[in-house]
Amino acid sequence: MTKQPTVKKKKLGKLEKKRKIMSWAFVIIPTFFIVVFYFYPMIQSLWLSLHSGAGIGLEFVGIENYKRLFNDQAFLTAVKNTFIFFIFQIPVMIFLALIFSVVLNNKALRFKGLFRTLVFLPSITSLVAYSLIFKYLFANNGIVNQVLMFLNLTNDPILWLGDPFWAKVLIVIAITWRWTGYNMIFYLSALQNVDPSIYEAARIDGASSFQQFFKITIPMLRPVILFTSITSTIGTLQLFDEPMNLTGGGPGNATTTISQYIYNLSFQYTPNFGYAAAVSYSIVFFVIVLTIIQFRLGREKK
Amino acid sequence: MFNKKTALTLSASALLVLTACGGGNDTEEGEGLEGATGEPDQLTVWTWDPNFNVRALEIAEETYKEDNPEFELNIVENSQDDVIQRLNTSLSSGVETGLPNIVFIEDYRAQSFLNSYPGSFVPLEEYYNVEDFADYKTKAGTYEDEVYNVPFDSGVTGLYVRTDILEEAGYTLEDVTDITWDEYVEIGKDVTEKTGIKWMTNDHNDLGIIRVMMQSSGVWLTEEDGQTPYITENESLRLGFETYKELFDSGAMNVHNDWDQFLQAFNNGEVATVPTGNWITPSITAEDSQSGDWAIAPIPRQTIEGSVNASNLGGSSIYVLNIDNNELAGEFLGSTFGSDVDFYQELATQINAIGAYEPAAEGEAYQVESEFFGGQMVNSNFAEWTQEIPEVEFGENTYAIEDILAVALQDYLNGADLNDVLESAQQQAESSL
Repeated sequence: MTKQPTVKKKKLGKLEKKRKIMSWAFVIIPTFFIVVFYFYPMIQSLWLSLHSGAGIGLEFVGIENYKRLFNDQAFLTAVKNTFIFFIFQIPVMIFLALIFSVVLNNKALRFKGLFRTLVFLPSITSLVAYSLIFKYLFANNGIVNQVLMFLNLTNDPILWLGDPFWAKVLIVIAITWRWTGYNMIFYLSALQNVDPSIYEAARIDGASSFQQFFKITIPMLRPVILFTSITSTIGTLQLFDEPMNLTGGGPGNATTTISQYIYNLSFQYTPNFGYAAAVSYSIVFFVIVLTIIQFRLGREKK
Repeated sequence: MFNKKTALTLSASALLVLTACGGGNDTEEGEGLEGATGEPDQLTVWTWDPNFNVRALEIAEETYKEDNPEFELNIVENSQDDVIQRLNTSLSSGVETGLPNIVFIEDYRAQSFLNSYPGSFVPLEEYYNVEDFADYKTKAGTYEDEVYNVPFDSGVTGLYVRTDILEEAGYTLEDVTDITWDEYVEIGKDVTEKTGIKWMTNDHNDLGIIRVMMQSSGVWLTEEDGQTPYITENESLRLGFETYKELFDSGAMNVHNDWDQFLQAFNNGEVATVPTGNWITPSITAEDSQSGDWAIAPIPRQTIEGSVNASNLGGSSIYVLNIDNNELAGEFLGSTFGSDVDFYQELATQINAIGAYEPAAEGEAYQVESEFFGGQMVNSNFAEWTQEIPEVEFGENTYAIEDILAVALQDYLNGADLNDVLESAQQQAESSL
C-alpha cells in the first residue's frame, strides 16, 4: 500500500521528462526560425546602416548615414508626410470604427451580419487593387468629381492627384476606407464582453445614448483602443502601397512616405542600401517613441 | 457572457483577421522573373513592353535561328520597375543563380548599374562595330572606357501634331516645323484659344519634356563629370521651367496623372500635339479614326546657342551579364541588333522601331510613306534626326535629381520665385548625392 505512490511518482517523473523535452522542442523550433528570419536580418541591417556606397561597393562609414538623415530634405519631407497622415487619419479612423461597432452591436439591428461584412470587406481587398480603383474614382474627370460638381459643391474638378493638399486628403480617405472595418472588428468583439447590465443600470439612471457612449463604452474599451492605435500607428509609419499606387508619392514629394523613400533609395535611384537601411531604422525609432507615448497616455489614471 | 454566438463571432473575426494579414502581403509576390536555365543553346532575357521590346526580341530570335537552329531565346516580360528591382536584388546578393543572360536597361539608368555592380556586366565592343551607332547611345553604356551595351531603340523625339486642328486655327505643318519652344508656346496659346482644344498634355511629376529640352541643348542635370548637380547655372533647365510654366499658366496644357490618361488625351482628340519619343508611334496609330490627321515635325529647339531640333527620350540598350553563356549572348546580340541591316528593316516595318544603327537607315523600310501620318516618310525622318541628337553624359543620378526638381517645379508653378526654387534644388541635390 505504501509502495504504490512511489511507483506512480517515478512513472510521472518519466512522463514529465518526456513532456519537458517535447515542450522545449516546440519552443526551440520556432525560436530558431525567429532568430534566423527576424533577428539576424535586423542585426544585419543595423550593420548595413553603418555603410554607404553604390550597389555592392559599400564602405564602412560609422554613423555618417544617421547624420545625413538630419540634412536630407527628401527624408524630412517623407517623415513630415507620414506624420501628417497618421495624426489626421488615426483619430478619424478610430472614432469611425467605434461608431460602427456600437451601431452594429445594437441588438435591435436587423441584417447585422450583412452590415458587419460590408464594413469589414474593404480590409480584405488587395492594397494594389483598391488603390488603382481609387485612382479612377478620384481622377480629374472621375466619378467623385462628377458627383461633387453635380451637387454644386465645387465648380471646377478637384485635382485629387495633382494638388499637394488634396493628394494628402485622398491618401487619408483611402487608408481610412481600407482599415476602419479592420479596427471595428476589435471593438465589436470587445463590446461583446462588456456586461449589458452596466448599460441597463445607466439607462435606469437616465443616461442618454451619447453619455453611454462617452462615459461607458469608450472607458470600457480603453485597452482595445490603445492596442488598435498602436498597431495603426505602426501600420501608418510603414505606409507604402497606397502612395506608391495612387499618387506615386507626388505631386512633387507631397505624399512620399518613409517606406517609399526607402524604396526609391534602393530601386529608383542608384542603389544605396546602407543609407536605405539607416532610413528604415528611423522607422524603428519612431515606432518605439510613439508606442511609449501611447502607453503613457493610455494608462488608467489613478 | 461567453455564449456560443460570441465564440462564433470571435473565431470568425480571428479568421478574417488572419486572411487580412495574408492579403496584405501578397503585393510583394509576382510571377517571379525566371533566371538563366544553364542550357548551352538557351538564353534568358528580362525586358518590358510586349509590343515593342518583346516583339523586337522575337524577330531577333527568328533571324538568329536561321543560322543556328538549336538556338532558343527565353523571353521573360515584366514591368520595367520589376526588372530593375529584381536585377538590383539579384546583383547585390552576389549570387549568380536567377540572373538572366541578357537584360534591357533604360539609358538613364545604365551608369547607375554599371557603377553599382562593377564586374557584373560584360564589355561588348568585340561583338559589333561601335562606330556604326549614334554616339549618344553608346556613350550611355560606356563605363571606364569600355562599351557595355548594344544600343536598341533610338528614343529620338518628334513633335506629333494634328494637322486638322492646326488648319482649323489657321496654321500649317510648315509653321510648326523647325521652331523654337517659344514659338511652340505662342502658336499653342493661339490654337487653344481658337479651337478650345488643349495644345499638349503633361504630368507634373514627369519631367521628360524638360529632359528633352536639355538634351537638345547638349546639357544634362549633372555637369560633364556626371556627378556635380547642374541646376542653378543651367540655362537650358531654367528656360525649360519657364516654358513649362507658360504652357501651364496660359491654359494650353492639359494635366494628366498617369499613363492611361496620357494615351486617352490624344486618342480622344483632347490635345493637338504630343512632343515625345518615337516609341509613342504605335499608341498614336492605335486610333484608326485619326488616320491622315497626324504629322510629325522635328522637336522644337531652345533659344540657346547650339540647341538643335533633335532630341532623345527614354530609349533603352541591351546588356549582357557576366555569367555562363555570355559569349553566346554577345554573339547573338552582335549578329542581330549589332549588325543586321535586314533585321532593322523588319523592326521598322513590323513595330515602327527606330534603332540607333546608322547603316539601317539606307534600307527600304525606311523609305516608306506612312498613310497615317499624311504620307510622311516617318522612319527616314526619325533616322535622320537620330544622327543630330547631341551627346550628353547621363551620369547615375538622373532620377534622384529629377525627383528633387519635380518638387521645385511644383513650387514654381504655385508661384515661388524661379531663382529660389532652383537654388534650393541645387543645395538639396548637392547634399543628397
